[in-house]
Amino acid sequence: MQMPDPSFTFDGTPIPIKPGASVAAALTDQGHRAFRQSANGNARGIFCGMGVCQDCLVTIDGVPNRRACMSAARDGAKVETQVAFPSLKGAVVAPPPEAARILEPDVAIIGGGAGGLAAAIAARRAGASVVVLDERKVPGGQYYKQSTGLPPIDRQQQEGAELFREALDSGAEIIGSVEVWGAFDGPLFIADLEGRALVVRPRTAIIATGAYERPTVAPGWTLPGVMTTGAAQTLWRSYRTLPGRRIAVCGSGPLNAQVALELADGGAEVSVVAEAAAAPWHHPLAGLRATLLDPGLVRKGLGMLQGLRRHGIPMAYNTRLHRIEEADGALRMVLRDQRGNETSSIVDAICMNIGFEPQNEILRLLGADMAYDKTFGHLRCSRDEGMQTSIPCLYAVGDCTGLGGAPAARLEGEIAGKTAAAQLGCGDAYDLFAQKRSLKRHRLFQKALWQMYDVAPYSLSNMPSETIICRCEEITLGQITEGLSAATGHVGTLKRATRVGMGRCQGRYCGPISTRLVAAATDKPVDDRSHFAPRVPIKPVSIASILAAQEALNESA
Amino acid sequence: MHDVLVIGGGIVGQVTAIKLAETGARVVIVDAAQNSGSTANAGSLHVQMQSRFMRLYPDQVRNIEASLPFYVAAVQEWGLLDQKYGSFELVRKGGLMLAEDEGQMAFLEKKMEREARHGVSVELLDRSALDRIAPWLGPQIIGAELCRDEGKLNPLAANKRLRAAAETLGIEHRTDQILRLESLPDSVEAIGLQGRYRADRMVVAAAWGAGALTHDLGVTIPSRAEPLHMNITEACETQINHLVQHAERSITLKQFATGQIVIGGGWAARDRGRYEIPAVDHASILGNVALAAQLVPSISGIRVIRTWAGMNTTADGASIIGPLPGHARVVMAVPGDAGYTLGPLVAGLAVDCVQGSGLAAEALSFSPARFAA
Ligand SMILES: Cc1cc2nc3c(=O)[nH]c(=O)nc-3n(C[C@H](O)[C@H](O)[C@H](O)COP(=O)(O)OP(=O)(O)OC[C@H]3O[C@@H](n4cnc5c(N)ncnc54)[C@H](O)[C@@H]3O)c2cc1C
Ligand SMILES: Cc1cc2nc3c(=O)[nH]c(=O)nc-3n(C[C@H](O)[C@H](O)[C@H](O)COP(=O)(O)OP(=O)(O)OC[C@H]3O[C@@H](n4cnc5c(N)ncnc54)[C@H](O)[C@@H]3O)c2cc1C
Ligand code: FES
Repeated sequence: MQMPDPSFTFDGTPIPIKPGASVAAALTDQGHRAFRQSANGNARGIFCGMGVCQDCLVTIDGVPNRRACMSAARDGAKVETQVAFPSLKGAVVAPPPEAARILEPDVAIIGGGAGGLAAAIAARRAGASVVVLDERKVPGGQYYKQSTGLPPIDRQQQEGAELFREALDSGAEIIGSVEVWGAFDGPLFIADLEGRALVVRPRTAIIATGAYERPTVAPGWTLPGVMTTGAAQTLWRSYRTLPGRRIAVCGSGPLNAQVALELADGGAEVSVVAEAAAAPWHHPLAGLRATLLDPGLVRKGLGMLQGLRRHGIPMAYNTRLHRIEEADGALRMVLRDQRGNETSSIVDAICMNIGFEPQNEILRLLGADMAYDKTFGHLRCSRDEGMQTSIPCLYAVGDCTGLGGAPAARLEGEIAGKTAAAQLGCGDAYDLFAQKRSLKRHRLFQKALWQMYDVAPYSLSNMPSETIICRCEEITLGQITEGLSAATGHVGTLKRATRVGMGRCQGRYCGPISTRLVAAATDKPVDDRSHFAPRVPIKPVSIASILAAQEALNESA
Repeated sequence: MHDVLVIGGGIVGQVTAIKLAETGARVVIVDAAQNSGSTANAGSLHVQMQSRFMRLYPDQVRNIEASLPFYVAAVQEWGLLDQKYGSFELVRKGGLMLAEDEGQMAFLEKKMEREARHGVSVELLDRSALDRIAPWLGPQIIGAELCRDEGKLNPLAANKRLRAAAETLGIEHRTDQILRLESLPDSVEAIGLQGRYRADRMVVAAAWGAGALTHDLGVTIPSRAEPLHMNITEACETQINHLVQHAERSITLKQFATGQIVIGGGWAARDRGRYEIPAVDHASILGNVALAAQLVPSISGIRVIRTWAGMNTTADGASIIGPLPGHARVVMAVPGDAGYTLGPLVAGLAVDCVQGSGLAAEALSFSPARFAA
């Protein structure tokens, strides 16, 4: 067999590797959508594209359960479909020979997106020593989505590259491919760096872990080829890979139209963008307010709609995803509008996004106060003007504190970076007036913007009972409803009775839904305590990596 | 008025209520719904003396040794319950206690002799015998004690099925925290945050909460809350049939029917008060999991997906069962070490007392009379 160069094999078939590609991108490029088998024998593939959902697992060189979306494609690797129950007879994984690292910076920043990088620059310029840890190989976060090895695709990516460069030039140490899995009082962070252990004991910490996407749950949403809008965007922006030739987009919010346009510009046939909310001209006041607050961004939004029209892509307003079915190697997406009319289209990939969930696990683990935001249906972290949480020396910026958008995250980062450094005696944090004023404006803009969309929690009451709610454990709405009548009180009780939320993603998709169902059943308001308890590991961590961390801490003790 | 009020809805309270309701009694369970060991435990069915416990509480070893026949009986009781209300995913393939050097083997040999005297089915295995039944062990393991009576079950399945059985029997469940008890001439009363509950008789199955409740009735029961740590991995092929422990170090390791490996063994969690869930300590996840990886190296490539912390209860090592001295209507039901294993058996003995047949002769040493002033 002639092997293209460079390449890896997937179940024996050669897969060429484009520069900087992830395993998931390389497989998608070759038309592979199913990566793993679930315990019930169902196929799964990329869903979140950002390391959260744990549905893209593959076996790489004999090591099971590696996330294809977070693993760089390596020449000569042997990649296999992930079976549900991998054998324990496989190779013993030893921690890599490089010693673990123990870091004790003035400021540790978890997350290198818009907020984290801005915080790093501000704190470093004030004279503090700074370490930034990011899960992805190249930091930049979900807004700037950087790529390895490819030139910037547009201004947004260019701006991210500049911010990253500025952060490096400031002298901050920026470490990529770092999964922070442990956060303990102190604070003490324990992370995995490609099998190596990293232990961080900073004087102050700034959490900037961003958000992940809220999907539009409907029958068929776990089928390979169905993914979040952000996952499709990452495939395109970071790896120049289209999720499929024929694509449909659904949910609510400005990201959907933007990505539909990017994919269409990249050559995809986008059949429709279904938007749950009414058309923007039905929210004239909010539109006007948004225009006054940020004419530039509104112009960008209008430009997007024009772009869609140019490609002939219809925006279907007041329309939601109804179900997805398999159709001869492709997917049939059935949409339903407000009046109950159904339309369907056959596509290769479906993108969905209906709001965001903050990645607030570290903040909750460390005990920072949270309040429930009904409009967005998620928790917001309480902070003072300097972005400090209720826990001294713990700061939080950007979307991990509740949805706010990239410009606000950047401003919050600058404020937090300066304030945290000043708290340690590096510089002062007096001249933050301009940032605070812009931040206020951005927040008002966001408020007006989201009034034009519909990302509030939606009702599941008309959904068929066999709809899967918990992707990992394959728990259906019917099982949850049954569990609700038997196990009352708390979502933790429901979890133990039904296994909802017990899987690898630790309830990131089913948790918010289950929490609201329990709240409705018990007639109690949602708050921090009504969610699953925050527990380590924040993301699944290999036992070899825990072993490495234990050895590192033993030696340093 | 109910016939029997059960305080505490863990494994002991639930099974007590079921057994009473089966005989026609009207039963109500009042439970604080906080920190029940039964919803956090690992489902190991322990019989052999746990080295962790022997090391931590050497003064209590006599109590545990005397209790050995009860552990054998307790596992049998679980078997009956599983037939009636299961499946609880109960497996009785035995438990291995591993040794890494001659000293540990000698310790196991002595322990085994004591256990055999009390009717426990035990045997010492060398490495080649181990290789036949547990080929996944690390190379440093030289032998083990096999206790055939041991096993494992899935407490989530057991709790769920028993709860359903209780509902079917018409047992009432109330969520409330009881503040104090009153023993009246013709009845008993519990005063809670939300209400008062009166019944003809009462069973105190409140684990770590038992001491505070009986204090006012003049008996000081030294029940203590002990927050413990657990870890669970993602699923893999089923290969580990035994319950695995170590002769000198704190660990229990086993594989559930889901394919997940559960790692525990009494590592500490951080106490945040009895009515707050305990917090996970970094030293426990690191130490406990690293030890597991040393004993079973082939798990190194799989991932831990969650840890949690739950509240265990300790007193003096032995169970506390029977009428409270001076208050015949108040029956205690607090299991000794490995309380989930003992739960159904303790419940059965407590039910005998409620029904007036008194504490079985061989269980007399468990009477709360030992704490009366
Ligand atoms: C046999 C067995 C198997 C299990 N298997 C799995 C498994 O495969 N996967 C898995 O994930 N889990 C598993 N579990 C764990 C189980 O679901 C529970 O997590 C466990 O019983 C302990 O509860 P918890 O600490 O997780 O809290 P939960 O049961 O999640 O309860 C939540 C509690 O946390 C409180 N809380 C919420 N937010 C906060 C906050 N910010 N700060 C402080 N408190 C807060 C709530 O008020 C509530 O009391 C298993 C448990 C058992 C017994
Ligand atoms: C992490 C962990 C792992 C364990 N693993 C094992 C194992 O593998 N095998 C084994 O045999 N044992 C194990 N144990 C021990 C076992 O779980 C307990 O001993 C057992 O579950 C106790 O059962 P119980 O019914 O007596 O009490 P619990 O299940 O603790 O229930 C007591 C209940 O009483 C309630 N209560 C207390 N005070 C009051 C009050 N004043 N008013 C109202 N209600 C009140 C509590 O809220 C609680 O719900 C483990 C324990 C822990 C914590
Ligand atoms: S797609 Fe890789 S973790 Fe979600």
